[in-house]
Amino acid sequence: MRLRSLYVFHLDTGACNGCEIELFDILTPYYDAERLGVRLAASPRHAHAMAATGPLTRQAYYAAKEAIKAMPPKPRIIVAIGTCACSGGIFYNGYPIYRRPESGREGQEYPRRGGIFELVQDLRDEGEYVGPVVYIPGCPPRPEEILYGVALALGLVEKQVKGEYYTEEVGFELPEYPIEERIRLSLRERLKYVVGYFDRERILEDFMELVAKAKSAEELHGLIQGYCLKNPEPRVSLAMRVLEREFLRLNEKYGWEVKGSAEAPQSEVRGLQVSADGDAGPR
Amino acid sequence: MKEWARKITDEKVRERYVNEVIERFRDKIIRVERNADNQWIIEIRKEDLPEVIGYIINHPEWKETQLSTMVGADERPLRGKFSLIYWISINGASGDVFFGIKTYISEDDPKFPSVTPIHPGANWYEREVKDLLGLIPEGHPDPRRLVLPDDWPEGVYPLRKDFHYTDSPRREFTDETKYPYREPPKGTAVFPLGPYHVALDEPGHFRLYVKGEEIVDVDYRLFYQHRGIEKIGENRLTYDQVNFIAERICGICGTAHALAYAQAVEAAGDVEVPERAEYIRTVMAEIERLHSHLLNLGLACHDVGFDKGFMDAFRLREHVMWLAERLTGNRKTYGMVVIGGVRRDFLEYRRSMIEKVIRELREGFQKWADQTLSTKTFVKRCEGVGVLSYKDAKRWSSVGPWARGSGRDFDARRDHPFAAYKYLDFKVPVYKEGDVLARCLVRAEEILESIWIIEQALDEMPGGDILAEWKEIPPYQEAVGFTEAPRGEDVHYVMTGEGNRLYRWRIRASTYNNFPALPDAMRGNSVADAVLIIASMDPCYSCTERVQVVDARSGKVRVLTEKELTELSRKASRGV
Amino acid sequence: MAVTLKYPFVKIEAPPEYRGVPHINPRLCIGCGACVNACPADALLRIDDYERGTRKIVLDVGRCIRCARCDEACPTGAIRMTRNFEVATLDRKDHVEVVELRLHRCPNCGNYTDYTERALEKALQILPEGLFDGDEIRKRAILCRNCRRKLTVDDAVEASREVVE
Repeated sequence: MRLRSLYVFHLDTGACNGCEIELFDILTPYYDAERLGVRLAASPRHAHAMAATGPLTRQAYYAAKEAIKAMPPKPRIIVAIGTCACSGGIFYNGYPIYRRPESGREGQEYPRRGGIFELVQDLRDEGEYVGPVVYIPGCPPRPEEILYGVALALGLVEKQVKGEYYTEEVGFELPEYPIEERIRLSLRERLKYVVGYFDRERILEDFMELVAKAKSAEELHGLIQGYCLKNPEPRVSLAMRVLEREFLRLNEKYGWEVKGSAEAPQSEVRGLQVSADGDAGPR
Repeated sequence: MKEWARKITDEKVRERYVNEVIERFRDKIIRVERNADNQWIIEIRKEDLPEVIGYIINHPEWKETQLSTMVGADERPLRGKFSLIYWISINGASGDVFFGIKTYISEDDPKFPSVTPIHPGANWYEREVKDLLGLIPEGHPDPRRLVLPDDWPEGVYPLRKDFHYTDSPRREFTDETKYPYREPPKGTAVFPLGPYHVALDEPGHFRLYVKGEEIVDVDYRLFYQHRGIEKIGENRLTYDQVNFIAERICGICGTAHALAYAQAVEAAGDVEVPERAEYIRTVMAEIERLHSHLLNLGLACHDVGFDKGFMDAFRLREHVMWLAERLTGNRKTYGMVVIGGVRRDFLEYRRSMIEKVIRELREGFQKWADQTLSTKTFVKRCEGVGVLSYKDAKRWSSVGPWARGSGRDFDARRDHPFAAYKYLDFKVPVYKEGDVLARCLVRAEEILESIWIIEQALDEMPGGDILAEWKEIPPYQEAVGFTEAPRGEDVHYVMTGEGNRLYRWRIRASTYNNFPALPDAMRGNSVADAVLIIASMDPCYSCTERVQVVDARSGKVRVLTEKELTELSRKASRGV
Repeated sequence: MAVTLKYPFVKIEAPPEYRGVPHINPRLCIGCGACVNACPADALLRIDDYERGTRKIVLDVGRCIRCARCDEACPTGAIRMTRNFEVATLDRKDHVEVVELRLHRCPNCGNYTDYTERALEKALQILPEGLFDGDEIRKRAILCRNCRRKLTVDDAVEASREVVE
């Protein structure tokens, strides 16, 4: 049955309300769900679909069941909004959360069980018809994400996500970098404390490019100065200087000359030549 | 540190308070321990609880004392007994002190004298401890089940250490196990409408007892959203993972909870947070306050029927949400706070974005406030409605704009300076009228203050690291962490444990202290104002989904949906 | 003035800082399980099969709270947060990504160890050149724990015999 409009009844089964607020937001003019034909219904008796949020606590279970039973027998679509409604979310096995005995409470099943589907399965076991369930994960999902899910339920867009099963056949890549792997990992860890996990990859890449070009500590220093002059971000410049200091310190700590690998033509040295008296350039 | 902060956190001031309590109860105190900079744990016998707590809270000279939280814990594996701690704080800009009045309760005699007759604000705390740990408050005026679901068996206490966090015992749902609502005032017959109703659908069930249109009394059944978060945090998650579940306690004040928790662990473990991280945390907390207050003001307009104000407030709010998404990666769950600092940095282009958005917000909001506060409908509908007196606000230990609108001069940012607030200047708006309009004005002024705070913080932001390295946190250390969420003071208590995990975590959200005061604010108002009063308390949104109205005269019960109640409220504006 | 975005009828991209669903690059994953430990919602699973000698790292995007702790923890950069948010579906199996890797087999006794072949290769890559005796390390690293212990004991016994003689 192709629906042109969707009367949605909102059901909160114990959510934190983040998803509720995003649901509220899609009714505001920036996103305007009404142009897709979506309206909030005042009662489940007038609803095509039920927008469920929350991980399904035991207290809310009974009322939720009655509400779904009160919907007209078709189409009874359930829209599970948010990660909690799709699979129980981060609360999935707390003591007041409802889970069917079959789902277990500490298992390794996949797809992960929990959320509103536990109630749907109970209803189907009792012989009640419940229509298809649309899952919209997210914590909380963006308003655009909810719009996409609703459009999917109405048949306006195509599904894009697909499950994957990879095996060893795809091959294994062990990339080589201009810096020794253990030093690279230490630098990466240090950057987490300086600029955070999100920006560190990019900064580390830039740094490694400069190391690949440099043939000595002085040259590296000059390259970094040039980079910082051109870069408008003071935090990135700070991070590069921290990296330089750490890099030289770690190389010096082990006090030996690191030779370049013969097979990698693009890098002259993997690391720098550290002179015998330990002087590795400006600090 | 700014001068005002230095005065409040002065050692001598703190010692004066502590010494006075120790002097007064010299023979009753078993042990005094200073577990953090501004926190003292004072151990007494359980029989002395009402006296000591009554003394501190009702002290004639100490301003704005507050029952901040109350924790029950199962310390039988450690010391063979249960423990109970009442955390009381001094506020009103008169000194930064938290007293933890601790007592031990043995398993064979799990009773303790209730503090509720002296201080009604302890009502919900004692009922919760009875539900979750089985410690019985003697003399409690209303010992009904509060937190656990109706189909939870009696005598099973989830927070005890011998209860596994994934267990979920059930019992049959019968007439005896239905929730016992209060009897309505005399002269009426009640239509029994249990938790099962074909149209009833969830969190926050209210019963209004009315005479005609006037509300005589209110009863409620909440905690549909009880998810067992504390137990999960104590068993399944490590210290850093708990930040993420803390963010998802509430759909609007996520960062405030994560921050309170992180600060509690940092106080317990002596982890020093770098200055830059403190500033970043402050900016994120204020951005959260902006979007929360705009939401609430928009909803207030909607309930009154002034939809232009509603749409405008949401239009302004959307820009704050987009800003949060570009700074942190998500509109609501920022994921910024971890133990020891923050996870993402403010690069220069992000800083410029913040400055641009708040500059435009200030202009837009001032226009909105001018427009709304000169709209006669809005002002008349909110004036004199839902009045909560200062005495009531203090009795219930209310917090946040709900209390500041009634004259309580209490803000955790100023009274217990945390994060970067001690380096900044800001005002705390307080109004005395106690009605819905006063609370709206408090929130509107706080929005402008928040913008000012963000500007200062961005200006003065220091350099350095954003995260401190910490290797190990010693076990069995106790501490309290506190923030000022948009709804009020948010307090988390932690006792650290072994194996990178918590031993006990107690969350106290701001609405927990505000909700019990609701009947007092609603009495004497008309049904049409019910939604407006609840919205002015700013509870977590879905608590007001369902209201049952019982007419005391005829005994008839009408069930109104949220939509119908809102319609009622909006219609009442036509008569203004 | 029209403010409404025309999404979903136009293509839209999330901002560059957005935390979308994670994705595992199967060519980089070494099956160490750091992401499994880090995940607060248990959206990542590590399932070992010592009969067939495989390890599966399972990611269920419908349980993911998108906190990016897995991204932070991964040593090879295999699991990364994407900017994808269009993951609504009617079938939960679409949310599952599985990477199946081979567990390393001890050449001496033939039992499967509890780490993957790739993890072993990665560990040897991290090992600094010239610090330890590379050949001795490699001889021991490919054995399982029990065989390694036996080898150490055997070597010690042999050495003590030489001393006595």
